[in-house]
Amino acid sequence: MTEPHSIALSTRALVAGYEPDLPIVRGVDFSVRSGELVIVLGPNGAGKSTFVKAIAGLVPIHSGATLLGDFDITAVPTHEKIRHGLAFVPQTENIFATMSIHDNLLLAANVLPREKRSRRVADLYAMFPDLAARPSLRAGLLSGGQRQMLAVARALIVEPSVLILDEPSAGLSPKIVQDVFSQLKAINDTGVTIILVEQNVKAALAIADRAAILVEGQLRHEGPAATLAADPIVAELYLGARHAGKAATP
Amino acid sequence: MNPQLIMDGLIAGAMIGLGAIGITLTYSILRFANFAHGEMISWGAYLALATSGLLGSLSGALFKPVGPFSFGWSLPLAILAAVALTAALALLVDVLLFGPLRRRRSAIIIMVMASFGASLALRSLLEFLFTSKPVYFSKALQIALPLGGGLRATPDQLLSLAVAALLVIAVHILLTRTAVGRSMRAVSENQQLAGVAGIDVRKVIRTVWVLGAGLACIAGVMAGLLVQIRPYMGFDLLLPLFAAAILGGIGSVPGAMLAGLIVGLAEALGVQLIGAEWRAAVAFMILVFVLLLRPQGLFGRAE
Repeated sequence: MTEPHSIALSTRALVAGYEPDLPIVRGVDFSVRSGELVIVLGPNGAGKSTFVKAIAGLVPIHSGATLLGDFDITAVPTHEKIRHGLAFVPQTENIFATMSIHDNLLLAANVLPREKRSRRVADLYAMFPDLAARPSLRAGLLSGGQRQMLAVARALIVEPSVLILDEPSAGLSPKIVQDVFSQLKAINDTGVTIILVEQNVKAALAIADRAAILVEGQLRHEGPAATLAADPIVAELYLGARHAGKAATP
Repeated sequence: MNPQLIMDGLIAGAMIGLGAIGITLTYSILRFANFAHGEMISWGAYLALATSGLLGSLSGALFKPVGPFSFGWSLPLAILAAVALTAALALLVDVLLFGPLRRRRSAIIIMVMASFGASLALRSLLEFLFTSKPVYFSKALQIALPLGGGLRATPDQLLSLAVAALLVIAVHILLTRTAVGRSMRAVSENQQLAGVAGIDVRKVIRTVWVLGAGLACIAGVMAGLLVQIRPYMGFDLLLPLFAAAILGGIGSVPGAMLAGLIVGLAEALGVQLIGAEWRAAVAFMILVFVLLLRPQGLFGRAE
């Protein structure tokens, strides 16, 4: 685990995209301090998901760098990043639906030393009792909220220093969104740094320490979440609301 | 109707099933129909033959038949070497051909066409090295033993059935109960998520080639032991292999084996009812009917 207030994750002039001549993320300098919960906002097509996928190794990086603490993970293969403490939860298809809940967790635990695996799976069941109730259930049969919990549990099993989530509220009812966000806040309170890409701006700003706004693949604004939530110009320009009081929801 | 068709069908079905497991695993993980898989069957048989001959030339005692079987210890020892060599050949084809195409994110049709090319090249090389003349592991004659109910089988046939059953159980346990199997199932379902979850997808792909080629080699040895060894033996099995893989449900090992037995039995029945010249048509009809009526196969899940 990194020192409190040290930089947990940063990007330097990051340029990324599926095609080299068509970058979607265009020179982003971004950093998150250890223990922070940072939300990445922006209009549709701003490159938010591409940005976090590039950090996770799912989208090619054309130039710039990604650092986990002081360690350069730009060229680290996707499957090795979790061993360095970077966990990523994709927006959709973020669990292995044909496998049981237990197999999903065992699979994630494979990166741990053998002697630690059972203990970590037990820890995660204690953290998410809904999953512990039916470990042999096929994950594809879980509800939307339970799926997100399983996806988060899978990512947490390696005790990551940084957890990145791409729109965990997508497709969930407002009640479930609150539950998911409360759980994420509780995880953040244990010291895990969280980066959250979200369209559900109001709910996400309520739990975030800081927010960063991407527009057209570039970082346009950064600041404390409370300040951005109350800023009418930011809300109108980038969050799709006419007034800050109506801060956008999808 | 002669009840012996059941035994003939089961023996042919066991060979088809073992080959179909390789097809179903490579299809479910690499997402393309590998038409070069049949060549792994042929190469496996020839590599076992060559190694067995080499061992026999070192010590004639290794050729002496073991118990009631037609072969000596040279063959089981040669199978171990042949499995390793066939796996190495599959990895070499992946390194030279399929790997570069995957990195370029080539379309599935390009992968399929490449597998056709690999199939032709491997078969031609086999013919060049060994000629197209059929060869045999052993020319010893075996008497079929009565099994009751009008069925008869030679010791080699019964051993082949037992080996096939054990291999299917072993592969099923590997896939369902071990970390390697969980990783293979994860890559089959979602490669990106598997990578994010810490699975080395390239390593899983290598494991699939090794496993598929190893099983193909053993299927080839079975075919060579029970029938004969020819450069076209794998190619001729391709249609029943694909019929079995699709009937069983892509990705299902027990499905592939069960479907292999069904295809083998159906072919044997077809030979008896309508003639040997219709054998291939039976597998083709099964393939067409499954694709039309239940494309997910017996054990597959509908998309």
